[in-house]
Amino acid sequence: MTLYVKQDSLIHEIDPITKVIYAFVAALLPYILPSHTVALIVLVISIMLLVVGKVFRKIIPLIGLSLFLIVSLVIIQGIFRPDNVTPLFHFGPIIFYKEGLSYGLLLMLRVINLLCAFGVLILTTKPDDLIQSFIQKGMSPRIGYVIGSVLQLIPQMSATIATIKDAQRSRGLETEGSLLVRIKAFLPLIGPVIMNSLISTRERSIALEVRGFNAKQKKTFLHEVHTYKYAKVIQAVLILIFIFAILWRIFL
Amino acid sequence: MKTKSMWSFRLSTAALVLIPIAIGINYIGKTIAAGLKLPLWLDSLGTILSSMLAGPIVGGLSGIINNIIYGITLDPVSTVYAITSGVIGIVVGALAYKGWVNNFAKALLLGLVVGAIAATVSTPLNMIFWEGQTGNVWGDALYAYILSQNGPIWLASFLDSIVVDLPDKLISVLLCFFIFKGLPKNVKRLYQNNQRFEEL
Repeated sequence: MTLYVKQDSLIHEIDPITKVIYAFVAALLPYILPSHTVALIVLVISIMLLVVGKVFRKIIPLIGLSLFLIVSLVIIQGIFRPDNVTPLFHFGPIIFYKEGLSYGLLLMLRVINLLCAFGVLILTTKPDDLIQSFIQKGMSPRIGYVIGSVLQLIPQMSATIATIKDAQRSRGLETEGSLLVRIKAFLPLIGPVIMNSLISTRERSIALEVRGFNAKQKKTFLHEVHTYKYAKVIQAVLILIFIFAILWRIFL
Repeated sequence: MKTKSMWSFRLSTAALVLIPIAIGINYIGKTIAAGLKLPLWLDSLGTILSSMLAGPIVGGLSGIINNIIYGITLDPVSTVYAITSGVIGIVVGALAYKGWVNNFAKALLLGLVVGAIAATVSTPLNMIFWEGQTGNVWGDALYAYILSQNGPIWLASFLDSIVVDLPDKLISVLLCFFIFKGLPKNVKRLYQNNQRFEEL
């Protein structure tokens, strides 16, 4: 369960923490400085990084996931925003206003920018490396285990669902038809998965404790995370930009 | 049996293992609901169930980690709502501990409370990130209607989110209530406050 694309690129080389900082700074900048120019500049930078990372095409389904939100922002703000005064054009009786469309466009840029900024992180970073970097930075290995095991569990549980769906159908469960029929099918499908997985927690926790999960010793790592030469410099620059943006917003 | 406070951060291994399971159940619930084309998300069943089983800390962590994991793997937008999910876990956990899941009537009330709180927490987030809209067809239609009647944006935004959150969370809490009631006792006891696994 990941959108990570294995590639050989400059962006893949960069360490996960730096990319996390980039994602947050780039996603938040257009919210701190509400101008079309800022949003556009940051968006172009993110898109360039995606292109350099050879993952630009993979960002499109990610944006597609929020397409309704994006379209709805422009349309609703364009028609209904309270400070709308200057009509721009109309479809039949529906009038689109300049102020609302301009603001809707800013909102749209912000959302696409947020998706692209996180896309740089998500598409070029292996989740395992990300978790390990955070543990090395001091996050509890217990939380690291939780996140890591989710990534393994979800494909397993999805496979169980397919099995249970077939089993229940062979017993005569209807999963298509009117809304009521479909509502009735929900519990028989999810119930067994929930029971199974809750019961399995006992075995999992025994297995973990037997392997010294709660041991107080310092944990070591199986894989070595490669360090990135310019990590400190890039991080410092990103944080400076962030602080500068906040100061700009407050004082200017 | 020595009982710990429900707010203890010292989680037993079983309680910790419940968190990834809860997140898995969230995902499964969402997938099945989408597969059956139900008009609800049902994507917080795991968070709610784990809160009922293991209290507010496990519930809250499940909620927050759930959205962060979605954020870093499938859908960045969900990171924004990590706070909402966390609050749902905490509220259900604390109220369940106080006995709000003892019978159907109380569970119904719990569902309404959770729905209202979820909408209240989401509204400021929606205001900051998308001017109060949610990207849900029905919610955004209501939002547009209220703005066209010259209603204030915050009200439009709150109604936009409550119109989706309330039914979804109400049904989710009730489903979890039935599942919770049906669980065997030894499963329920696994996560409760004693450190021992079970008494043989």
